[in-house]
Amino acid sequence: MLATVPSATLFGVDGVGVTVEVHVARGLPGFTVVGLPDTSCRESRDRVRAALLTSGFSWPDSRTTVNLAPTTVRKIGSALDLAIAIGVLVASEQLSPSAIEGRAFLGELGLDGTLRHVAGVLPIIEAIDAPEIIVPPGSVHEASLVGDRPIRCAPDLRSLIDALTAESPWPRPPEDPAEPLVAAVPELAEVRGHQVARTALEIAAAGGHNLLMVGPPGAGKTMLAHRLSGLLPELDDALALEATRVHSAAGVLPPGGLIRRPPWRAPHHGTSAVAMVGGGSQRLRPGEISLAHGGVLFLDELGEFSAVVLDALRQPLEEGVIRIARAETRVEVPADFLLVAAMNPCPCGEGVTAGACRCTDRALDRYRRRVSGPLLDRFDLRLDVHRPDPRALLHGDAAECTAVVAARVRSVRARARARGVATNAALTGSALERLAPLSAGASALLERALESGSLTARGLRRIWRVALTIADLADHDGPLTAEHVASAFHLRAEPAFLRSSMAP
Amino acid sequence: MSSSGLPSDAFVVALARLPQVGPARLRALLRAGEPEQVWAALCGGSNPGTPAAAASRHGGAVLDALIADPADRRSPEQRLALIESWGRAARALDVATFWRAHLDAGVGVTVLGAPSFPPVFAADDDPPVVLFWKGELDHLAGVRVAIVGTRRATRYGRDLAFELGRDLATDGVAVVSGLALGIDGAAHGGALDAAGAPPIAVVGSGLDRIYPRAHAALWRRVAETGVIISEYPLGAPAAAWQFPARNRLIATLADALVVVESQHTGGAMGTAVEATRRGRVVMALPGPVTSAASDGTNQLLVDGCAPVRDATDVLVALGRDAVPRRRAAETRRPPSAQGAAVLDHIAWQAAPIEQLLLATGLDLGALALRLDELEADGWISQRAGWVERVGRSRS
Repeated sequence: MLATVPSATLFGVDGVGVTVEVHVARGLPGFTVVGLPDTSCRESRDRVRAALLTSGFSWPDSRTTVNLAPTTVRKIGSALDLAIAIGVLVASEQLSPSAIEGRAFLGELGLDGTLRHVAGVLPIIEAIDAPEIIVPPGSVHEASLVGDRPIRCAPDLRSLIDALTAESPWPRPPEDPAEPLVAAVPELAEVRGHQVARTALEIAAAGGHNLLMVGPPGAGKTMLAHRLSGLLPELDDALALEATRVHSAAGVLPPGGLIRRPPWRAPHHGTSAVAMVGGGSQRLRPGEISLAHGGVLFLDELGEFSAVVLDALRQPLEEGVIRIARAETRVEVPADFLLVAAMNPCPCGEGVTAGACRCTDRALDRYRRRVSGPLLDRFDLRLDVHRPDPRALLHGDAAECTAVVAARVRSVRARARARGVATNAALTGSALERLAPLSAGASALLERALESGSLTARGLRRIWRVALTIADLADHDGPLTAEHVASAFHLRAEPAFLRSSMAP
Repeated sequence: MSSSGLPSDAFVVALARLPQVGPARLRALLRAGEPEQVWAALCGGSNPGTPAAAASRHGGAVLDALIADPADRRSPEQRLALIESWGRAARALDVATFWRAHLDAGVGVTVLGAPSFPPVFAADDDPPVVLFWKGELDHLAGVRVAIVGTRRATRYGRDLAFELGRDLATDGVAVVSGLALGIDGAAHGGALDAAGAPPIAVVGSGLDRIYPRAHAALWRRVAETGVIISEYPLGAPAAAWQFPARNRLIATLADALVVVESQHTGGAMGTAVEATRRGRVVMALPGPVTSAASDGTNQLLVDGCAPVRDATDVLVALGRDAVPRRRAAETRRPPSAQGAAVLDHIAWQAAPIEQLLLATGLDLGALALRLDELEADGWISQRAGWVERVGRSRS
């Protein structure tokens, strides 16, 4: 007899609907799974068999064929276990086809019949075409985030079949997990001194400008970067769903519903290119840049990352998505993040202070080459961070707190939305000319810089966008003034380590 | 001309290219016999370009002389190993091709004792055996001042090295330096800027091995307008031990040596020692006593070297210009009232911009605007978020 059970599998960060067809017929006893299953999916045969037997069902004593349609998509992982088990039960006439009418099944089976959570429930649920979906208890909360149809669960296969055959009522879904304690965001008011860096953080958060901080060890670069996450506004619905989907697909979704706070990812500098941008030969797993979608990717010790990893960031920085292609497959994963990086001015770290650097020329040369020009060009804000004045550390005035600055950031983002973009950093050149005219003084400043060759056409746009954000933060309407442009110039200095040791 | 049709110099050049051969070893090699004989002996007669008869006739004697060289402090086994490695290298090198490469590259060659060998080197007690040059060797004729210093120079050191190089060249004094990063490069940059006396560079690698690569353009310009000298034939890479040897040539060439910035130890301090040993005038540029980059130069001053403030101090020390000239009049445009208010808050030591924000009470935009204005007029310099006053006009 033939049984058809709807389910879905994960492909990149998207779900793909899968129809599980099970055919049980007379012939030599055997069990085959066809339809491009990978190894982990093929193994489900053993799990399903054990789960059926321990749950008190019998294993069909005949030829059983499982087909996973469409056969062109590679099926990876154990999410189809439950659907296969249900299909086998129906096809071997241990369960009536009417009991599964209009229901889709999703979940991994334990050998004792337990239903287990799988990664990527959110995108998988979105791809399933059925009025009702049965998921493992651990996935109920995540599956309900879509919220467009009833989700049911059962702790194990036996109680699921009992509920399907109406012998017992549906088991109650587990309690919603308690809202996780929001990790305290580091407070901006704790920062003493660092006036310029603090301004740069505010501008980065408000305008979505990528930020590079260069400074000696102990100057406070990492400490400052951590303050940024508190300044960013919450994600809107669409972005929150996208971010949640990526985290779900990677299997790292924290409890507590949609991801509303902008994610903060800080991969170590030993991170491989695949871990950074995503991929892998089997399931195309989202990388750090996709997990940072809607939030911040913080690269501490930028100069220690391998050049391959850094150059892989260039395309997603421009386009906001990463396209991963392998011989057979190709996926597109969102990766729209704010890049914040910190690095020492040279390998020994003391290059900012006159004459204190102990690096050899060769080491310096290598360090300079590590961070390519095109990548440096994508930082709108480039800042030298100094060790703060000890007097400011001890006696400095308490500065503005995160909440005050975050309110300003929100208002700037609202202005950007009125211009039709999410942040000022996304404005095109023509939109800038139309929406952010320059005053005479500002034009003169830019013209001088262009003539002297210290500014390129691309740099001009970046300066212009930052100047606009600075004006927005000051609640300034009308043409941008020379002060705004001068600040933007100042915050996009050529990094100290790049300046060659040649004479002027 | 010898039996192989090549000048004897060709074999000296080839010997200089052997591994780990510096001036002392090259002298030892040449003591053992005629260049061509030594070469043939090292090749063991298997070099097709060398008559086998010559090798068999002289080979044994040459090698014996090399092995028994009393000036070599190594054990006999080490000496043998070195001679064997020379033999391997010699068999792999074709003298005629190598010699032609020098001619084709426009590299001049002169050997100690030849009439073209510069007398200033010939008179030295540790002279180079062979010299290679690019450019015009006649440029060595005039008065020469060496400007040397650390590669990890500060802005202050680089600026003053540039200024010294420019002003000395303008006054017709040839600037000698090593084309290294930092002070060396800045001094030659200044000398080229002046378009005065031709610059002289002494390098520690073969003339086709540009080191550091960042100075490729500078290297070319010095070769075009002045002269670059090396003790090493084409293809010789820059090895660490070759730089102290290079420094002794700089010290030999210099009528006066100016150390602009140097750490307590370092190549420039070695050059100062070599110059003192040769009785040259050694001068040093004072720096802040707290600056690591001026540690060595300040020590030189304490040890009795004459201080250098500008090119005039050097010229006076050389006896060229007995009357110190007046300091140049202030030529910078006076700062605007707003600019002057900011300038008042900038101390003589570099200060981070944060400090200025606090001191002036201005916001970043207004301050940045005024600082840019002051920098454009030459009153301050900005670097990596530090602001520093510029002491006097540089034009």
